[in-house]
Amino acid sequence: MKKLFVSTVVFVLAGCGGGDGAVVSNEPFCQAVLPAVDAFMARARAENPVPDDPRYGGTAVVGSIGELADGMNAAVSSDATSTQHQQFVNLMTLLDYDENAVPRPYLAESWDISDDNTSITFHLRRDVRWHDGEQTDAHDVAFTYVTVTNPLTAFPNSAFWDHYVKGAEGVEVIDDFTVRIHLRPHAEFLDPFRTLAILPEHLLGDVPPEQLKQHPYGTQCPVGNGPFVFVSHSAQDRWVFQANPAFPAGLGGRPYLDRYVYRIIPEQTTLLTELLTENIDVYVAPAPDQAQRIVDDPRTTLMRYPYRQYVFVGWNARRPQLADPRVRMAITMGTDRGRIVQALLQGYGTVANSGVPPFHWAFDEELSGSVTYDPTAARALLETAGWSDRDGDGIRENADGLPLSFSVKYNNGNQSRQDVAEIMQAQLVDIGIDARPQVVEWATLLQQINTPDLRDFDGVVMGWVVEYKLDDMDLFHSARIDQPYAWSGTSNPEIDRLLERLNSTTDRDEAITLWREYQQLVIAEQPYTFFYFPDRLDGVNVRLKGVVMDTRGDWLNIREWYLDPASR
Amino acid sequence: MTKYILWRLAGSVPLVLGIATIIFFLVNLAPGDPTLLLLSPGMNQEVVEQMRANFGLDQPVYIRYVKWLGAMLTGDFGYSFSHSRPVLEVIKGVLPNTLILSAFALVIAFVTGIVLGTIQAVRQYSLMDSTMSVVLLFFYSMPSFWLALMLILSLSLYARNVWDWPIWFPASGMTGVDHEFLSFAGRIQDRVMHLVLPTLSLSLVLTAGIARYMRASMLEVVRQDFVRTAHAKGLPERVVVFKHALRNALIPIITLVGLYIPVLFSGTVFIEMIFAWPGMGRTLFDAIFQRDYPVVMAGTFFFALMVVTANLVADVLYAVVDPRIRYE
Repeated sequence: MKKLFVSTVVFVLAGCGGGDGAVVSNEPFCQAVLPAVDAFMARARAENPVPDDPRYGGTAVVGSIGELADGMNAAVSSDATSTQHQQFVNLMTLLDYDENAVPRPYLAESWDISDDNTSITFHLRRDVRWHDGEQTDAHDVAFTYVTVTNPLTAFPNSAFWDHYVKGAEGVEVIDDFTVRIHLRPHAEFLDPFRTLAILPEHLLGDVPPEQLKQHPYGTQCPVGNGPFVFVSHSAQDRWVFQANPAFPAGLGGRPYLDRYVYRIIPEQTTLLTELLTENIDVYVAPAPDQAQRIVDDPRTTLMRYPYRQYVFVGWNARRPQLADPRVRMAITMGTDRGRIVQALLQGYGTVANSGVPPFHWAFDEELSGSVTYDPTAARALLETAGWSDRDGDGIRENADGLPLSFSVKYNNGNQSRQDVAEIMQAQLVDIGIDARPQVVEWATLLQQINTPDLRDFDGVVMGWVVEYKLDDMDLFHSARIDQPYAWSGTSNPEIDRLLERLNSTTDRDEAITLWREYQQLVIAEQPYTFFYFPDRLDGVNVRLKGVVMDTRGDWLNIREWYLDPASR
Repeated sequence: MTKYILWRLAGSVPLVLGIATIIFFLVNLAPGDPTLLLLSPGMNQEVVEQMRANFGLDQPVYIRYVKWLGAMLTGDFGYSFSHSRPVLEVIKGVLPNTLILSAFALVIAFVTGIVLGTIQAVRQYSLMDSTMSVVLLFFYSMPSFWLALMLILSLSLYARNVWDWPIWFPASGMTGVDHEFLSFAGRIQDRVMHLVLPTLSLSLVLTAGIARYMRASMLEVVRQDFVRTAHAKGLPERVVVFKHALRNALIPIITLVGLYIPVLFSGTVFIEMIFAWPGMGRTLFDAIFQRDYPVVMAGTFFFALMVVTANLVADVLYAVVDPRIRYE
């Protein structure tokens, strides 16, 4: 009996459980494709011996808080980390950006844009193969385009295609390696092709678009064409990729790393410990108050760069106490945002005055300082607007006796947003405004603010992640006031006109002037109190070399990461 | 006895179904739905409606309930929204991990709890008894998530980087990243190393409680006549304690197994989050926040099933070890 127990324990430890890595899905689709991948990889390894260079080899581990929710299925992906893995790790995009955000060739060797800006012709590389050995060609591009522009797929970033000709009419296969896409002229039209990874037609062509999200391709057996080949995924635990020996020599050939592992660790203290004990090489997005530990430790360095994100408090202007732009301006002026950046972000961030991030070409240095902390001016502005403390309770009222009192909602489990709401409350009391922080569970909060006929909030702390192609149509254009994201209920004909012109202006110099004008309007309107653009941080072990991370992404040059040979 | 077990089993069917029904309506009537979490600007209303239809959420809740119940009775738990896989596959991947963790924690908690409680009772009011009481109370009053963080800081971070201990434990995961390249013995060692911290955090709190119960139960037994008789007939202390007293003192402890299993499962939620253990508790927790209804339903169903089973087993064991108890 005792022996049986011991051997059971050993069996349990050695055998079952999801942590083994080698989890092979029993889905028929996976059973069919994985042997083909193995066979092609074995052949590719034999044909492309590892170059004689000490940089080749080893396993790098990245730890992050969240699962790659949508996996490698680019057609249904909305999660930013998943998208980066499609772009840079497992799949390929038609083009990518250089450090100045200028498009450069990737899967497409070159492209021609028609003189009237109504079509793009992509010329594809001829040496890219899917990881099962099939050629990547123009049919894959056409298939991906038709799929993501099909409403049945429910591609989350459908705004990408607002000015494109959707469906099969929008795309022409000229020959096996040439494909043309049709559009109406608009600003920054190449931007979607930076993030949209191309999917394999030969594997997914038969799948009905509405079933793509449930298809095992995404999280159980993706077959990409990028620098890293999918090996295994165990849910909530890890993704394992290995180097693709058949990756085109013209793009640098096989990556230096033998294996790349993405680990999901939901607790930040654990992540920091794993980084400092050298169990992971990269800790994605540490909290600002952990940054100093990473800087101080000789084993690690801290990467820091401007991120495409901003945090703000959105005001529901449908509420009588928040309807007047002067009141919203006074709220912004009465909040010391600079101190919040120092205190909350330890200085890892910049105060925001609009949604145009500092790294962007449309960013205007002058405008960025236009609203500053000034409680005296805020009080005066409130007096002019007719709000003064008539009953001596410390809170201002208007002539009808309505107190200047409102709630500021934030989602639970997000410390920095809670801090924003609480600091705001403390500072606004000084100018006679009663702002009450209120915590709401995430999905419930989304329902309260997104449902057009509900809008059950006064103010809400939120964040947006923007693309390089900025587009505030959904946020501030009056035509979309009944759509989920018109939180502020802004209805300003001048803003409408500028948003429309910005969307159709392809010339950058002209656009800069328009953006300036637009930002001035937004600052005067104050639909949001813009708070800050947080910097993106990454903790990296010093043994991992060649790492470049910037606004384009954390994984952007994973092909060139290598491990210090002395520390392997 | 068989009749009793069958009767209890029959009784647990409506119980489990009732739990599942309550959970179904609680979860489905909670505000928000999974499509809201997938929304992003630029997505128009038709896309949202399409997603809802793709998830089957365009139907009224009572129709969904009937469909869900019907499917579940045939063993079909549906499709997870967030994992994009059949729910049963999701659960099959994570349930064993939680069972490994809780089984180890349970065994360790009971073995150490029983041993410590016995020692305390036998040496009642000694310095050792008082010291142990204080230490156990310290662990008993500590929230397990905080204990977990302290264990990570001391036995992982400080042990490796500051104190230079020869042994330190990995702070997260079930296996190392090179697990599949290790030898058989190496794999076992890898697994054990990863089990230490989560098992400790989960079991220390339980151990403290069990030891208190055990001490009380043992004290009651050692005062009884048959123990005095054993002493009187000259049996050595060891035999009296382990052969005569301990067996009888263990009887009430068995009920604790049934009582502690739900505590253990709720404890695993925190422990799995902190130690990145890919288990059921974490899956369920994430599913609730993502409004992944099918996973929440199936997960709570399995937990309910296990708790009901554990209680049944405890009750049956009770009758097995104590001949005075008979179920009719």
